[in-house]
Amino acid sequence: MSVDAQDSPDTGELARTPEQIPEGQHGFWTGRSGLVVAGILAAIGAYLVVGIVIMDVPEGAKVPGPTFFPILIAIAVFVLAALLAVQTLRKPEPVPATEGNARFHTDWKSLGLVFGSFLAFALLLVPVGWLISAALLFWGVSRALGSRRPLFDVGLALVFSSCIQLAFGAGLGLNLPGGILEGIYG
Amino acid sequence: MESLSLLMEGFSQALTPMNLLWVFVGAFLGTAVGVLPGLGSSMAVALLLPVTFSLDPVGAFIMFAGVYFGGLFGDSTMGILMNTPGGATAIATTFEGHRMAKTGRAPQALATSAIGAFIGGLIATTLVVFFAPKLADIAVMFGPAEYFALAVFAFIATASVVSDSVIKGLSALVIGLALAVVGIDGISGASRFTADMPQLFDGISIIVITVGVLALGEVLHVASRIHRDPKLSAIAVSGRPFLSKREFREALPAWLRGTAFGVPFGVIPVGGAEVPTFMAYGTERQLDRKRRNPQFGKGAIRGVAAPEAAGNATSGTAMGALLALGLPTSATAAIMLAAFQQYGLQPGPLLFERNADLVWALLASLFVGLVMLLVLNLPFAPLWAKLLLIPKPYLYAGITVFCGLGVYATSAATSDLLIVLAIGALGFVLRRYGFPLAPIMIGVVLGPLAETSLRNAMMSSGGEIAVLVHSPVTWTLYGILALVLVYTAWRRIVSRARVDV
Repeated sequence: MSVDAQDSPDTGELARTPEQIPEGQHGFWTGRSGLVVAGILAAIGAYLVVGIVIMDVPEGAKVPGPTFFPILIAIAVFVLAALLAVQTLRKPEPVPATEGNARFHTDWKSLGLVFGSFLAFALLLVPVGWLISAALLFWGVSRALGSRRPLFDVGLALVFSSCIQLAFGAGLGLNLPGGILEGIYG
Repeated sequence: MESLSLLMEGFSQALTPMNLLWVFVGAFLGTAVGVLPGLGSSMAVALLLPVTFSLDPVGAFIMFAGVYFGGLFGDSTMGILMNTPGGATAIATTFEGHRMAKTGRAPQALATSAIGAFIGGLIATTLVVFFAPKLADIAVMFGPAEYFALAVFAFIATASVVSDSVIKGLSALVIGLALAVVGIDGISGASRFTADMPQLFDGISIIVITVGVLALGEVLHVASRIHRDPKLSAIAVSGRPFLSKREFREALPAWLRGTAFGVPFGVIPVGGAEVPTFMAYGTERQLDRKRRNPQFGKGAIRGVAAPEAAGNATSGTAMGALLALGLPTSATAAIMLAAFQQYGLQPGPLLFERNADLVWALLASLFVGLVMLLVLNLPFAPLWAKLLLIPKPYLYAGITVFCGLGVYATSAATSDLLIVLAIGALGFVLRRYGFPLAPIMIGVVLGPLAETSLRNAMMSSGGEIAVLVHSPVTWTLYGILALVLVYTAWRRIVSRARVDV
């Protein structure tokens, strides 16, 4: 299980010292964005409920049937979502007042670039092939994480994806999609 | 002494040049993945699973033996040098280990942790060799109600002991349980929560979930903070990588005590080695306070030795529980279980009879792997730290590509790549708000066991709930669980009272 150093208490000097900002300087949502998790839980619960209602239970299924356990989970999910929401509303996250709060907020640009790169990889893998889509993924992620040499990265990404293609495809016999380059190597 | 002769046969299989090579490759790659920040033993196994697909079962499991322990040897290295533990099991080691490194004793800290991991793993694996067959005999006495009690024990213990907020722990647990019910129901054949997509009929694979929650979630988390967090730097390692006689004598009792903590927790499912490592660390600190010259806080060698031995001892006996009971007690063990099933093998009491040669070859290679890892880690730990010279963007880009490779290679389905991205995003959100990730994995791993045993127990009793508490074994399990909860609550109240003062 990987737990991030920042999330675990007292890992030495890594743990920052959050200084509370006086009340009233932030809007309602400051420190309460954790409600997102309660929302996700509620959404999971809703999906479970819909699934339980429309489930096609085969004739003669013994009791307790296939819906029994999911019903228990759905109840637990809703109870916990409510508890989480109450907890987040009553005790918002403390806002550390360092460097204009910049470090506290999520870097949506980098995050979006990583997410988008992986999505593109997933969608392009079969039509375009491993070599190019994996190189694109490598390039996108390294760019998102602050690499500043785009042209060099293109070369490195292509070398990296070809090495994997060689080692796993040719060496270990794993079937990686060839895509548009099918037939050129293989 | 039947075990010994069987083990010797296992060694004769494991010690062929080809199989030695596989153990070495496994140990090498396992350490490499373990050393990378944020990736621990379970990621090593999940990401390296595709590598083994083209091997025969014996070769594959021999390689896994190396990967399995390799990830554990690696993850404390970064904790000691950079204060970034590779996995939850390495957190306890990090406290004193990083202090030792800061006072110029990094090589000794690395050596203490490597030897500790070796001793813990060695003793635990030896116990497995002698007791796993007996464990399999006991397992026959376990019916559905007992297995359900065991699963409930694991759920509650993981959610409440491991995390600092019970609500957050339980939330993570139910997310895991919800992920586990997707797919065709094994008992009735009903299709559940699949939205009629054939890709979901087999459920969401444990590999997809592990890679999503642990690896892709980690990459997203790093991406969200890379321009925000201060840069970390590793402490340079120089000097003798060996322990002096005095240091060795100082660490030895801690290694043994740590092992004693770790061994039972491999069989008790409380979410892996996190609990025993912290218990071992806490005990050493208590003992240290009573000494004339307390070392804790200044880089105590015992604070490194005990948790590290405990972590590996847990993993050793966890392998025993997996082989003999078919019970995965950690995420790593669960992926191993998936690997067994990929080869059409079902771990459990019958495995020792049906696939004896494979089991004993695996156990023998665990020993071989431990020796190799000691050799790989003791003198060369500083070299492993050089992995960090790879610029961060390329390191994480490489990890991401391997996530994609690992997921696609297990199923050859684009849908799995989309699912892993969704789960990775979920993992990122949970990380961001400080939710523990261990309960998710336990929910996914033991959810199906809990469900089938609960339903089987109730079917055989005709719907009577009382069947769940009908036997002494279940009383014992629920009793211990109650004690654990009371103890945790008491510890929290005490620590809160201390903070107030």
